[in-house]
Amino acid sequence: MPEIQRGAVAGKSVHNPGLGREGPAAWLMAAPALLGLLIFMAAPFILAVGVSFTNLRLGSPLPLEITGVEQYRRILGDAGFQRALLNNALFAVVAVPLQTGLALSLALLLNRSLRGVGLLRAVFFMPVVFPMSLVAVVWMLIYAPGPDGMMNGLLDFISLGAWQPRDFLHDPVWAMPAIILLSVWQGVGFQMVILLAGLQGIPEELYQAAAIDGAGRWHRFRHVTLPQLRNPLIFVTLVTVILAFRLFDQVQIMTQGGPNNATTTVMLEAVRAVFDRQQVARASAMTVVFFVIVLVITWLQRRLARQEREIE
Amino acid sequence: MKRSIALAWFFIAAGLCVATGCTREKSDAGQDQNRITVSAWVHSGRAAERAVIQDQVRRFNGAQDRIRVKLTVIPEGSYNAQVQAAAVAGDLPDALEFDGPFLYNYIWQGHLTPIEKYLPASVTLDLLPSIVQQGTYDGKLYSVGVYDSGLGLYARRSLLQAVHARIPAGPGDAWTVKEFEAILARLAKRDPDGRVLDLKLNYANEWYTYAFSPPIQSAGGDLINRSDYQSADGVLNGPAAVAAMTHIQNWIKHGYVDPNLDDNAFTAGRVALSWAGHWEYRRYADAAGDDLVLVPLPDFGAGSKTGQGSWNWGITRGARDPQAAAIFIRFLLRPDEVLRMTAANGAVPATRTAIARSKFYGPGRPLRLFAEQLLHGYAVPRPRTPAYPVITSAFQQAFADIRNGAEVKKALDKAVAVIDQDIRDNKGYPRQ
Repeated sequence: MPEIQRGAVAGKSVHNPGLGREGPAAWLMAAPALLGLLIFMAAPFILAVGVSFTNLRLGSPLPLEITGVEQYRRILGDAGFQRALLNNALFAVVAVPLQTGLALSLALLLNRSLRGVGLLRAVFFMPVVFPMSLVAVVWMLIYAPGPDGMMNGLLDFISLGAWQPRDFLHDPVWAMPAIILLSVWQGVGFQMVILLAGLQGIPEELYQAAAIDGAGRWHRFRHVTLPQLRNPLIFVTLVTVILAFRLFDQVQIMTQGGPNNATTTVMLEAVRAVFDRQQVARASAMTVVFFVIVLVITWLQRRLARQEREIE
Repeated sequence: MKRSIALAWFFIAAGLCVATGCTREKSDAGQDQNRITVSAWVHSGRAAERAVIQDQVRRFNGAQDRIRVKLTVIPEGSYNAQVQAAAVAGDLPDALEFDGPFLYNYIWQGHLTPIEKYLPASVTLDLLPSIVQQGTYDGKLYSVGVYDSGLGLYARRSLLQAVHARIPAGPGDAWTVKEFEAILARLAKRDPDGRVLDLKLNYANEWYTYAFSPPIQSAGGDLINRSDYQSADGVLNGPAAVAAMTHIQNWIKHGYVDPNLDDNAFTAGRVALSWAGHWEYRRYADAAGDDLVLVPLPDFGAGSKTGQGSWNWGITRGARDPQAAAIFIRFLLRPDEVLRMTAANGAVPATRTAIARSKFYGPGRPLRLFAEQLLHGYAVPRPRTPAYPVITSAFQQAFADIRNGAEVKKALDKAVAVIDQDIRDNKGYPRQ
């Protein structure tokens, strides 16, 4: 009775015994990972918080000064940084549902035993394997302005000639959607593979039982597939949100944050501050603000996911 | 199971290898033990340029057995960022190549050591005045270049003649901006897509400052007030600068400018004019042949101005043996070596001896214009201040916004605010 077992595991809230009860052996085994986290995650972050209250500039021979919240005052009043926060939020709000929905549809389409389906799965997964820099350069050519550009040509063909050719990446309205589209295209394969694995883990008996109870296609999807996919879906959404906030490569290569800050992101602003202008303190303040936002979102998401589990 | 363990060991070994550089050490050991190693960083440049510097290092290492140069090639897109990061980590090489205008910031940060005591007067006196000017800060020579740069308009003579455009004879004879715009309009009328000008908008980064601050200077503005280098206000956002940037924005708005995503606008014959540097000469000459003509940038009111400055060599303060690094740099400055490099990249040779022997820069030669611009004061060095990285970053942002249709005055005001803020934050960059 596999479904009963699964239900039991999912239904019971598994208590985490914590390290304390396991004694020194647990600490010893966790030590390498904890040390790594401390050195590579905690220490740099604490350092960043400290630096953000100073005026540290890379390589400056002038003495370091404590400037309090000056850096925060500056970045929060900076139109570029405000726009970056807004763009990150916009990207997440649009790209996450779009990408997850698309990944789910693709997974459903490809979750059948047809001849050549393996090849199709490989085709949809391929963009994930390409480096983002390569994808960005190829899509720059796709978005080429003028009627010769591939995207312009396609839209012209679809709209039967009604489309006016645009310079997507230099158009304040179109630049962000263009970045979102390519990001979704590049990332969707990854989510698809995870959801596909989830789909294949759903026991066939559940569908048979549902069919005997008279459930149609839609009801089987709604009441069997979706609940069974809950964990993969939560994982996929979480990962996509985090990736959405890390948006950088494609923007740096394709638009450099332009036109007029239309595609700038927090990461881009921070990298520019520190590597173009050597303003370490300013960039640190940006990353701290950024960290707090991501922390809040992750916490909210975890809470929501846990509540769902308790309802089950 | 066994296989996966073997695989794990392989990855651990490979990881260690990468971390400790075990492949490199192997080839270095052996007969080289008594040699002084000079590490050198160069920008990757074009394939031909890269081949020359790699060949030069090979021959330098082969010709004597005292010094061994170890070359690292770094992409120029993020070169300054890499230098800054290496400086913090204490990993700067002995001999460092860098883009000229960053010199003053590196000196201010204490990364470079004056170079003049390592170079005999016979070498320094032979250098182009523009090279010495760019390499000097606080009265001391810190860097030398193997070549200087040239910026102008490449054109197809036949297309200019077809619209009855006057072909300027020299930098003093440049088109006025009004004349230039009339030529653009006439060329556009004959062009199938109306895009007749290439501004190399595909380059971004330092190109924006290098190529589009001369129009501002030609109009009477500048990137910063050079009397004391303390503010850009009223200069970078003054009426002259705004007028110059508005002209350029209008060319884009009118659809004269090819976006040049493939970098082939001129070679493929899509445009009649290309606003470009000396490094394009070879490719353009191959594509256009005898039809290629080089003219100065338009005059925006105060005479035609153009860019100067290029990659420079300096010796870092941490260099284990500065004298050895200087010997390598002197080798690069030998007339034969200068000519080899400039034959590959089309740049203006940095020494008078080499210019005299150059097939491209003598009187009547195809690139004579670039030499004249450097010799007769048409070239403006980029601001010689440690604030330059911020100035160029702010201007690049402003130019990107202007290029995308932002209001010119607003974009320049924003750049001025960023620059002035940085100068205040650094207490006016006092001399150290």
